[in-house]
Amino acid sequence: MNENMSDFADDHLVKQAKQGDVDAYTELVRRFQEKIYHTILSLTRNKQDANDLAQETFMHAYKFLRNFKQRSTFYTWIYRIAVNLTLNFLKRRKRDEKKQVQLEDYSLDVKSAASTLSPEGYSMKKELSEKLKEAIGSLPLTYRASFVLVVFQGMTHSQAAKVLRCSENTVSWRMHKARRMLQQKLRPYLEGE
Amino acid sequence: MRHKKIELWLSNGIDGELSERKKKFLESHIRKCSSCRSYAENIQRIHEEAKRLESPEVSPVYWEEFTSRIRKEIYSVKKEKPQGKALLLRWKWAWAGAALSFVIVTGLFLYLTQNKTPQELYVFSFESSLARIYQEIGSDQELEELFNSVISASIGENLEDSGWGERPDFYENLILWEDLTEEEMRFLESEIKKNNKL
Repeated sequence: MNENMSDFADDHLVKQAKQGDVDAYTELVRRFQEKIYHTILSLTRNKQDANDLAQETFMHAYKFLRNFKQRSTFYTWIYRIAVNLTLNFLKRRKRDEKKQVQLEDYSLDVKSAASTLSPEGYSMKKELSEKLKEAIGSLPLTYRASFVLVVFQGMTHSQAAKVLRCSENTVSWRMHKARRMLQQKLRPYLEGE
Repeated sequence: MRHKKIELWLSNGIDGELSERKKKFLESHIRKCSSCRSYAENIQRIHEEAKRLESPEVSPVYWEEFTSRIRKEIYSVKKEKPQGKALLLRWKWAWAGAALSFVIVTGLFLYLTQNKTPQELYVFSFESSLARIYQEIGSDQELEELFNSVISASIGENLEDSGWGERPDFYENLILWEDLTEEEMRFLESEIKKNNKL
């Protein structure tokens, strides 16, 4: 494989990939695979689903690459595909009442801050983080998607709006509603400390 | 009412999306209002806790395997492509033939019934038709609801006829939604949401 691929900008790699350069597309996959996987994992809370959907995202993008007019960046485009595929997948799963999909705990851990706490403080923090994971998982899909992109992926409202194909005000509103819902669910744990 | 707006601003402030003027206003309001202060502390705490939630470590081997799986799949798609292209070309010819037949039949019809046809023929694209309908509806909410329900019913009817059994996924059709304007996209989204009862 060409070692210099990593020096090229995304736009250049997209143009190369459009002309059939698989190495260029592979470099794009390398650049975005972790972020895409973790975004999907935050939404689905299931490693296998995240793996399948991340793969589907990159294959979908490859098949439609010729139709990508580069009006937005590849970064926005690939996120948009990932989020849309995941939301569709979750909607289908929600509809399918007969299937009992077990949501595995993907073991989000509380970072080092917890290790400096007393055993009591540690268990309270652990409880809050467990409840927080549950509460995020129970947010309506569009709110959850905004929350994941803004809080976990560190996107601005404008970037998230481009991915979600909505206005910045909509993202702002969804973030507010999501926080309100989380606050209502977690209030006992927040006040208990 | 005012507190609701304050809560929205507090949320925007956490995301770094607030102007200096609003920030100053918020600070002075929070000093005076204990319920908003408590809300601000809670959502700030939630934000920090959420930031601390860490995704599981994934080994570099996993990513290498992931990339090679994608490459493998791309090569298998590439192998299948010539056949697909020929099929696509055949389809293109079929469409062209159908369009030509339609033009001939329409032309003949217009020629034979010249006295009964309107003087001008209008051709609307999907986008311009939609824009025109919106214009006609204006701010009449009742009319808008009626229009939306008619569209939903029509989609449902067509699906039943086609025997697909499932609603169409606009999101999955990249060609469709990449070309849509934000307004059209919002309209489709609202329709999908209604159908899915999100």
